[in-house]
Amino acid sequence: MEDMKLSRSAMIAITVLRVVVGWHFLYEGIAKLTSASWSAAGYMKASRGPFATFFHWIASQPHLLDQANLITMYGLTIVGVLLILGLFTRVAALGGLGLVMLFYLCNPPLVGYFYSIPSEGSYLIVNKNLVEVCALAVILLTRSGLFAGLDRIVRVLVFQRAQPARTAAA
Amino acid sequence: MGSDDRPKKIDRRDVLKGLSTLPALGLFGYAWQKQRAYQQTKVEEAAAAAQAPADLQVINIALLGAGAQGQVLTDSMLRIPGLRFRAVCDIWTEYNQKRVVNSLKRFKHEPNAYEDYREMLDKEKELDAVIVATPDFWHERHAVDCLKAGKHVYCEKEMSNTLEGARRMVAAQRQTGKLLQIGHQRRSNPRYLHCYNKLLKEAQLLGRIITVYGQWNRGVTPDLGAPDRYAIPQARLTQYGFKDMHQFRNWRWYRGKGGGPIVDLGSHQIDVYSWFLGANPSQVMASGGNLYYDPKTHEWYDTVMAVYDYDTPLGPAKASYSTQTTNGSQGYFENFMGDQGTLLISESEVNYAGQLYRDPNAPAWDEWVQKGYVTAPKEQATKATSDSGAVADVRESVAPDQHTVPVTLRDPYHQPHLQNFFDAVRGTATLNCPADEAYRTAVAVLRVNDAIESRAPLAFTPADFEV
Amino acid sequence: MSGGGAEGVYVEQPGDLRDVRRFAHEAMATVYEVYAVHADRRYAAQAAHACFDLVDRLERELSRFLPNSDVARINDLAAGDSTRVAPSTLECLVIARHIFELTGGAFDVSIGTGMPSLEFDTEESVVRATAEGVRIDLGGIGKGYAVDLMAELLEDWGLTAALVHGGFSSVLALDPPGTAEGWPLTLSDPREPSTVLERLSVRQTALGASGVRKRDHIVDPHTGTPVCGRRAAWVTVPRPRATAAQAERQYRAAAAAVTDALTTACMLLGRNEIDALCRNSPGVEAWILEDTELLHFGGAASELSERASGAERAGEAASEPRCRGVRGAKPLG
Repeated sequence: MEDMKLSRSAMIAITVLRVVVGWHFLYEGIAKLTSASWSAAGYMKASRGPFATFFHWIASQPHLLDQANLITMYGLTIVGVLLILGLFTRVAALGGLGLVMLFYLCNPPLVGYFYSIPSEGSYLIVNKNLVEVCALAVILLTRSGLFAGLDRIVRVLVFQRAQPARTAAA
Repeated sequence: MGSDDRPKKIDRRDVLKGLSTLPALGLFGYAWQKQRAYQQTKVEEAAAAAQAPADLQVINIALLGAGAQGQVLTDSMLRIPGLRFRAVCDIWTEYNQKRVVNSLKRFKHEPNAYEDYREMLDKEKELDAVIVATPDFWHERHAVDCLKAGKHVYCEKEMSNTLEGARRMVAAQRQTGKLLQIGHQRRSNPRYLHCYNKLLKEAQLLGRIITVYGQWNRGVTPDLGAPDRYAIPQARLTQYGFKDMHQFRNWRWYRGKGGGPIVDLGSHQIDVYSWFLGANPSQVMASGGNLYYDPKTHEWYDTVMAVYDYDTPLGPAKASYSTQTTNGSQGYFENFMGDQGTLLISESEVNYAGQLYRDPNAPAWDEWVQKGYVTAPKEQATKATSDSGAVADVRESVAPDQHTVPVTLRDPYHQPHLQNFFDAVRGTATLNCPADEAYRTAVAVLRVNDAIESRAPLAFTPADFEV
Repeated sequence: MSGGGAEGVYVEQPGDLRDVRRFAHEAMATVYEVYAVHADRRYAAQAAHACFDLVDRLERELSRFLPNSDVARINDLAAGDSTRVAPSTLECLVIARHIFELTGGAFDVSIGTGMPSLEFDTEESVVRATAEGVRIDLGGIGKGYAVDLMAELLEDWGLTAALVHGGFSSVLALDPPGTAEGWPLTLSDPREPSTVLERLSVRQTALGASGVRKRDHIVDPHTGTPVCGRRAAWVTVPRPRATAAQAERQYRAAAAAVTDALTTACMLLGRNEIDALCRNSPGVEAWILEDTELLHFGGAASELSERASGAERAGEAASEPRCRGVRGAKPLG
């Protein structure tokens, strides 16, 4: 795999983007973990998009709801830490992208659907969730962690360990 | 393979770049801790504020009179920190007294229950103040005896049903040096205080107040009754000056007990007249009658219309006041009308909470709007300007701008006045309605009934208002 | 038929009993009425007047439109702040929280703005907000609570054969007049008041009614939008007898308040949830009017199983928590 041939300043910008998105994820995750009684039920029960039935169903099954809550809380936190550190960036970005995509699909601001989870701003098809999905895609595809992140160290270490085997094989 | 076949060692560049975002995590941790600490202190502060601060001197109080008004005052007092209810005294031991004692016990107060107030004054050793909410004709005895027993007194209005009684209360207050606050609670209402201090005294927004109109209209109500099973034995009723249970419940309508609606309802607003005008009336004429209710059970006038003359510091003024108990149209309010503006105000936070209108010819109130004394006007009068710079289009009359008073009371209506009394007990405030001040209102109010009887204007001299 | 009801509840004039006195009073944006049996009309009027004074006092504490009410102060609390409220206000809040939990959030006096973030200190009668932005509206449950207190007051006055209601959405029947078995009530479609759907004869029971009138007024707290499709709900809860604990004012039976809340919740809950609710609470009955179908939950068990299997045959989803707009249906409001 080749590094993307982006200019240094572009890569710095993407690193900043990665850290900022990671920070956001981390705080969202930690806030839910430390709050007394957070549950995704409210958000899911409010679903009015094309997948509403699915989310309603999950919200009404306590067992599934618990799992969804755990995945959300820990998923956000872990993805956040990994993104800030630039460790396993692609996995983290992919995971974060999937999570936020789910949030988006749960309550998409599509024409014809109205709901009122108290939210600020005016959105039409594109809302913050979708923007964050795209930001994660950029982070994913530019492999930001390799530029400035722990991935860089990991990759070197992994390569070092891989090398002796290859020279031996060769 | 690719160009990365060469074995690569970690070099410093890698490490630096690799760890370059680690500080962000550190920053996050720091920011998060700060936020948690802040939330924690807020929660702790709130918890600490909920208990009475340790250095707030606790005032031991007794409630004398646990009827409707006594209960209203108690509701407010339960929200004031630093008070301890030691006793509740009421002759209706079967009903009101028991209910109030029970409701206080709910809040960890352990008041002793009394029927005879003298016994209470004898036995309660740790009493600082007494709240008197008994019928008007008892106010003098209760207040004077409590003052002489060394207690501060908050006494409901009207001071007394007779001027002699009121005078004796002022005398007792002077002699004992204790505090005596009379329950004209608008004197501590933040909106009224704002209007008086800022709008009238400082800004003189209304210019010269020349006329005042006030009313309290209330619809037809049946007489107050009482549950059969809790009737008071006649012997006890007689002992405390009541002819029967009906008179006990409806004392306000009986001569010798209360003064009728002009005293029950009007005394608050007529007090505000004198306060805002800064003068005592020089004359009152009044007409009243028993137009509707059964005179056997309603000895006082159910409808009263009175007109006062004032010599205010800014010039003469007339104020009319009207009260009726047969129709509640437009409720209660006071309207102060000056040559530069109008102030329409009432105690209610909802109706007539404080509207001001500037006379179009008066100087602009911009300065006061900017200072926050009044809100910006609701509708700007459209100012038509012609090319030559002349100002008004004379064909249209300009509607006056409406401003409101930007002060809201968040607590029950009587709370600020009670708070003021307790602050004065602790020495951190002066009374907003001390007895000698309230006496002047008592004169202005109680004499209305005389004026009705005499069917002629009653003149006041300044000496009438001093004790 | 006497009485009225945009909620579809009517009180049938009981026979020719001259001793049933009726008194009315406007408060909390509705009309309260007291029906009381007493030979002395004047005494009954005085008792009713005392009840109406009580309602006025409660309105001063509970109305969110009065800037100095308890609820207005609660709605203004910043995170970490607290305010002392009247014991009656706190009781309403405790009941509201209880039903909130019981119905999984379908009954929510904060309409989604954060009911769980309020903390109650029942000893000190203090409400503390742990988060910003909570807005509560005790309008619904307040009516029922007022009705409960009015009924207690009437009993204090010795008027034990009485019925109290607030706008007919909160009804509390005490003992019936004369020799009747109960107070005769009828339930009818709010849009077709002349059609009687169900006749009830109630005593010592609270009845709540919630319905869709010209405007939808029940807001689903989870979506913030008005409810559609289900047109009316009625719930009855038996009124517990006064206990010794109540005499000490430690705990007050609040059947009408609870009923009020449950009725509002039943406009939003799915059929199975309502069924479960009635099964778990003995004596509680509910009627739901959906389009033209009147469903009855609670009460006789056989009736219940018939309804349940009927629902299954109709092919309803296992849990249909919300009523959604039917495509092409008339617009809301």
